[in-house]
Amino acid sequence: MPLDVAILLSVGRHPASGRSRRADLDARALELALRLGYHTRLHAIHAGDPAEPALRDYLGMGLKTLTVLPQPPGCDVLPALAHHLSQIKPALIFAGAAAETGEGSGMLPYVLARELKAALLPAIAAVELTGHGVAALQALPRGRRRRLSAAMPVLLTADRAAPPGRQSAFARARAGRIETAEAPANAPAETGAREVPARPKPKRLKIATAASAAERLRAATEMQAGRGQLLVQPPAEDAARAIFEYLVKEGILSVPGLVPADRRD
Amino acid sequence: MSRLRIERRRCTPPAPGARLRRDPRAERLGVEPRSAPSTPGESGAPGGRIRRDPRAVRGPTRAPAPAVPAPAALPRRPPVENPDRLILAVPDLEEGRLDSHDRDLLGAARLLADSGRGVVVVLAPRGAKDDFGRAGADYLLPMAVAPGYAPEERMMAVLAAVEALRPRHVLFPDRPASGGDLGRRVAAELGERPAVRVLRLSADEAASRGNGGRSDFLRAPPRILLLAAEATDPATGALWEARPLPCIEGLPCNGWIVDEGLAATDPNAVPLSEADFIVAAGNGVTDWTAFHETAAALGAAEGGSRVVCDAGLLPRHRQVGASGSLVEPRCYLAFGIAGATQHLQGIARCERVVAVNTDLHADMVKRADLAVIADAQAVMPALASLARQKLGKSRE
Repeated sequence: MPLDVAILLSVGRHPASGRSRRADLDARALELALRLGYHTRLHAIHAGDPAEPALRDYLGMGLKTLTVLPQPPGCDVLPALAHHLSQIKPALIFAGAAAETGEGSGMLPYVLARELKAALLPAIAAVELTGHGVAALQALPRGRRRRLSAAMPVLLTADRAAPPGRQSAFARARAGRIETAEAPANAPAETGAREVPARPKPKRLKIATAASAAERLRAATEMQAGRGQLLVQPPAEDAARAIFEYLVKEGILSVPGLVPADRRD
Repeated sequence: MSRLRIERRRCTPPAPGARLRRDPRAERLGVEPRSAPSTPGESGAPGGRIRRDPRAVRGPTRAPAPAVPAPAALPRRPPVENPDRLILAVPDLEEGRLDSHDRDLLGAARLLADSGRGVVVVLAPRGAKDDFGRAGADYLLPMAVAPGYAPEERMMAVLAAVEALRPRHVLFPDRPASGGDLGRRVAAELGERPAVRVLRLSADEAASRGNGGRSDFLRAPPRILLLAAEATDPATGALWEARPLPCIEGLPCNGWIVDEGLAATDPNAVPLSEADFIVAAGNGVTDWTAFHETAAALGAAEGGSRVVCDAGLLPRHRQVGASGSLVEPRCYLAFGIAGATQHLQGIARCERVVAVNTDLHADMVKRADLAVIADAQAVMPALASLARQKLGKSRE
């Protein structure tokens, strides 16, 4: 029996041209779902305008059908999605971490997971099926990855570290079908926020707390000096041991059976 | 000329106005100086004659130069009694201590608290050791949670803290897979609409970036705030108390997510600017096999100075410095790099620098936290074999 996998897709906007396109993170989420294998049944879902041409970009990635829940622009799509998903009862749900249009708060997967009583695995870079659940790699800063596992049902949000969406094929985009499903219409979402064009924020410079101009000048021009432990012409083995011990002490390297001094209780 | 001067000096009578001189020999022997000063302005000279000191008689003509002010101790700020608002800050404490994003978060909490008579409560795992008081915490609320990634358990602890304290605002750092995840979970559970990716914050307005980075959404700060890095400045200028509160005990949660630890990854697969640990080579490296082996044994990404990348010894995307990547690893281990200004600009944000160089006076040695004055060709194989011996089993 194939596994039901739902993918939540939204319409993105190109950052430079402003034209509508497939959303980058949603395309990555679809790519993760397409890579799961043959024993899955994919349900691609979009809540919004069925006539949106950018939806064809997703069909071009290899989907045969895409279900659209018709919603007026600017309304809260959550009840429609929750209603539809509770009918399909998917074992896996994929979504991008945040939308490219609107406020894009990234809250929808969390509220949805809570309503569907699904485990939520955020910032996923890779996923594979295990016997009774999924094993996923979570993307952490500095290129690190964490292994997570969870029993189904699971909602996974794709990170930028997930594989990019495959190229959209024109013939497949033409051949794919867009189906419309019944969905309750909703009132426009009330965010209570005022939208203004983004004002760029400069990166913070080093905070100067000096009292006098001379101190500020010194802080701005002086080279940052280290704590300066110095070994002059040690034997190579001593030098290597000193460097290695420093790396272990600072927690850069973890030696089995050796705990850094500041982590000891 | 010099002869003349010597002659003159010999002819000069002893200078008037000499003050009491120490007689080390008399001090050694425990003998009183032959003549003690009797009145101010008169002093005993070694010869035993009383000498006048007109300046001491006149008294000081000028006020003494002010001493260099010592760095003033920070004023202590005890928590406000009967506060009218309570701000709960939940820092990530990656690596078990506050990083710059967490300090900015506490600065934001301070800003919101000090707009009235407020207090800042920091929620941290039990046993977290850091200087929370200096960072701006009035109270420290420990929570009993398991180490590692347990977002559901942490969410329950935050909900319990919110239930107990009824804070006006709850602040999280908006980082995927840590604070951003936890904050959204809490917001979903509380049914609140949070302000996320907050780039600017004041007491009456929060600006969150949205619409794919094209718009800012302005609103009064809601109850739950997820702050981007550098949204506010860290709190400085005082020492808060970080008074400990009774611990929040673990609550039952659905342990649906299982953390199975960090996965081994190829350090060279990530961009150099994101690398965690970099081993870099400069002009002083000639044994490239040993260099690559050292980097592999330590599990570090490789970097290089402009010279080695120009020479084609490392690819261009491995170059560190002003014309290459500006890197910020947790540790930067430099072999044979003298430390040109442009290179030091590239590693300006590194926390720890280790330098191996033959030149004691190189700028890189001054910058380093641990500097070894030795030939890189000798140290690299020794370090590689030591690392393989100590780490080998865990890496393979």
